[in-house]
Amino acid sequence: MNMYHYAIRRLLYAIPVLIGVTLVIFLLFNVVAGDPTLILLGKHATLQQMVELRHELGLDKSMLMQYCDTLKSAFTLNFGRSWATKQQIMQMIKGGAYASLTLSIPAFVLASLAAIAMALLAAFFRGKLLDRSLVVVSVIMMSISVLAYILFGQWVFAYKLGWFEIAGYEYGFPNFLPYIILPAIIWIVLSIGPDVRFYRTVVLDEVHQDYVRTARAKGLSNRIILFKHVLKNAMIPIITNLVIQVPSLILGALLIENFFGIPGLGNITLQAINNSDFPVIKAMTILSSMLYIIFNIITDVLYTLVDPRVKLK
Amino acid sequence: MKNLIKLGVFVLIVLGMWFYTKRVHTPQNQNEKVLVTVGAAQIKGFDPAQTDDVYSACEVAKIYEGLLGYHYLKRPYELVPNLAAALPTVSEDGCVYTFSIKEGIKFHDNTCFPAGQGRELVAEDFVYTIKRVADPKVQSPWFSMLAEKIQGLDAWRNKYAVVAQTDYTEAVAGLKAVDRYTLQFTLIRPWPQFPYILAMGFCYAVPHEAVQHYGAEFLNHPVGTGPFTLQAFNPQLNKLIYYKNPTFRDKRFPSEAAEAYQHLLADAGKKLPLVDKIITHILPEEQPRWLKFQQGTIDVADIASDSIAVEVVQGDRIAPRLQEKGIQLFLEPEQSTGLFVINNGHVLFKNNAKLRQALSLAFDEQRYNELFHKGTAVLAQSIIPPGLEGYQKDYTNPYKIHDLAKARKLLTAAGYPGGKGLPVITLDVHATTQHRQQGEFFKKCMERIGVKIKVVPNTFPELLKRIDQKMTMLHALSWSADYPDAEGFLCLLYHSDQSMGIGAYFNDPAYNALYEKAIVMQPSSERTKLYEQLNSMAAEHVPAIYSVHRPHPVLYHGWIKNYLWADCLYGTEQYINIDLEQKKALQAKF
Repeated sequence: MNMYHYAIRRLLYAIPVLIGVTLVIFLLFNVVAGDPTLILLGKHATLQQMVELRHELGLDKSMLMQYCDTLKSAFTLNFGRSWATKQQIMQMIKGGAYASLTLSIPAFVLASLAAIAMALLAAFFRGKLLDRSLVVVSVIMMSISVLAYILFGQWVFAYKLGWFEIAGYEYGFPNFLPYIILPAIIWIVLSIGPDVRFYRTVVLDEVHQDYVRTARAKGLSNRIILFKHVLKNAMIPIITNLVIQVPSLILGALLIENFFGIPGLGNITLQAINNSDFPVIKAMTILSSMLYIIFNIITDVLYTLVDPRVKLK
Repeated sequence: MKNLIKLGVFVLIVLGMWFYTKRVHTPQNQNEKVLVTVGAAQIKGFDPAQTDDVYSACEVAKIYEGLLGYHYLKRPYELVPNLAAALPTVSEDGCVYTFSIKEGIKFHDNTCFPAGQGRELVAEDFVYTIKRVADPKVQSPWFSMLAEKIQGLDAWRNKYAVVAQTDYTEAVAGLKAVDRYTLQFTLIRPWPQFPYILAMGFCYAVPHEAVQHYGAEFLNHPVGTGPFTLQAFNPQLNKLIYYKNPTFRDKRFPSEAAEAYQHLLADAGKKLPLVDKIITHILPEEQPRWLKFQQGTIDVADIASDSIAVEVVQGDRIAPRLQEKGIQLFLEPEQSTGLFVINNGHVLFKNNAKLRQALSLAFDEQRYNELFHKGTAVLAQSIIPPGLEGYQKDYTNPYKIHDLAKARKLLTAAGYPGGKGLPVITLDVHATTQHRQQGEFFKKCMERIGVKIKVVPNTFPELLKRIDQKMTMLHALSWSADYPDAEGFLCLLYHSDQSMGIGAYFNDPAYNALYEKAIVMQPSSERTKLYEQLNSMAAEHVPAIYSVHRPHPVLYHGWIKNYLWADCLYGTEQYINIDLEQKKALQAKF
């Protein structure tokens, strides 16, 4: 099947998913969450003002009409303004995504490269000291809370040693560089543990295949076997793991952004939840589900590129 | 070839490191006075009509100004003219306030004005500003403060609530620019608190040109008359840079001070502002704020809501290691009252004063103060906090003496001996660690008399929703002063069954009658007596269990001069000075 047709068909399938997502978030917000007018009007809110504000925000419309408005904004990507900050939501998202990506892309690329390389090494030396050490270190790294890394990193490397900025952010290259190095290192340390273990398992599944034995019998070097044959065949689960992480790169790392004062999307989402800022919550939820749908399609397409046996149907 | 590649990589790494070091350690102009502050929450924009949180209010007050303000160095608070030439003249019936505006005051230069040059402030700007707060399209959270107060304003608002376009040229009887520099407000009835309202942020003068030019983006383009300017506000940036307003009027540092602030008169008579630039970082997390302060890259750290930094405060002093670095502590009680509010409309508490009194007697506020405020808070006897008219230092609430035997007796008299027959009472709290801990402490206190409490954590919107819908039995809240008049606290119990307020839903005819008598009175000893009487009633009826009046600790570096903090004071950065020599000397110790 033509790749474009496949992609269009999958995108059409996304419509009911999106409708489902908007419905769930709409119900959650209207049934469970607090009254936004109380938050917006503050401690001097009067009943009349609350009624007027509900009217201004369209909260006095029927549930069906309100849900139609939600759907409309999802398909037009016009989310309007934040209730809490009165800022344009798309502007907030653009700025936040930029800040999140400046941190997450370099951290993600470096962490993935390091994890794949370490996994190949561990698999190659399976059962040896190097393999065991890597597994033990990975488990230890995974067991430590993200908060511990952040607090320790900030205190020792930024405050005591003065190697990095404690917190802050500036837009534009290279202004943001000094602010993202320490958070990126923490991101890498956090990701390496689970990634090494996952990729090691994937590679180990491959190194016991017949084609590896054949390659060895042919006298190919270990480097060629690992990087040319094993890695290529292990690419499908690796790609799945990598591409599925991309939406979360855009959506930001909540704790890291918060502690390092990086104005990313993680921060925006957290504040929106705290303020019952429905338009922002709605925008972030719709955006994240759209990103996951799109990157799932990309994953499928990439499968055909790394493995010609995979056909799009 | 391989060697060349290695050399190239080495050169790149060295260049990268050089560049990084250069970025991190860019020196600033050594003679420039730059004040670096920090905020703990995102700024909601620079529209005075919309600013309803302390953090945004602090930023807005750097740019905008009102008719009146407070004397920086006098306590109790003293209203002083700011954009007004003098305090208002008030008619005999207390309903007409006439102001003269200072001549020659300019708005900041901005593209919204012809040729980009700020025009002169006139009386009509205040008429526009107040109408804008009342405009139903603006939905200012502050309108309730003005509702049913100014002649014709409510009718004007109601008219435009159902019309698509608000007409600002339509006259409002109680809002009049008599001439270019004379402004007159006519009130529906006497309202002695009105001048305080005019000193609040939402009454700061806003030019109509800016609102029209920027439309919905006005909140990101502040144009005021204040001591500092901000090019534009980028809500995505966690750093704001303000510059000294080159067209700021000739405003001078005060030359008089209260006894306690006499030492702050070194800059008396100097032209304001005293610093060239302000950098404000927004850092929501405490650790980075605290580390940056200790590093000396932040000049002032308000640690009132912090849990790590506050550990360095020992009584009214700070830890010796900070003293050695020249760090100073400013510690004053807030004009706020912490409360465990009782839903007096709930069937359990309505008409059962003995039960409410028993709970109050069982609460160990001394221990609460030690645990949560290291003993530095003032124990609350009633609703009015220290520093306000009606607060009596020596007054002791008979139901605030921690007395378990008396509490048990009252519980029996209320019909629940040893707590028998009493259902589990829920206590709704904001779901932060500290509020949960405070809730658990309250629960423990009540267990001692056999009362079972269930602590219910909520997000803040949920908590407000539950209070509004009268779904709580008890809930923990704190109320802070908007202006220095106890009326702002006493009103919380006036017919509170009809409005949310603190959610006490309390209605006592005697209290209501006395309140109505007191609030129309101008400040006098007679009014003070009434305030005291109301405060005693608020204590002895126990519509809420009062905990403490919190202390407000702020740390600042030794090179910062003239610093002080107070609840109702905003825009104080203009008075702060920096001793550059001392800064150099003290920073060497870091």
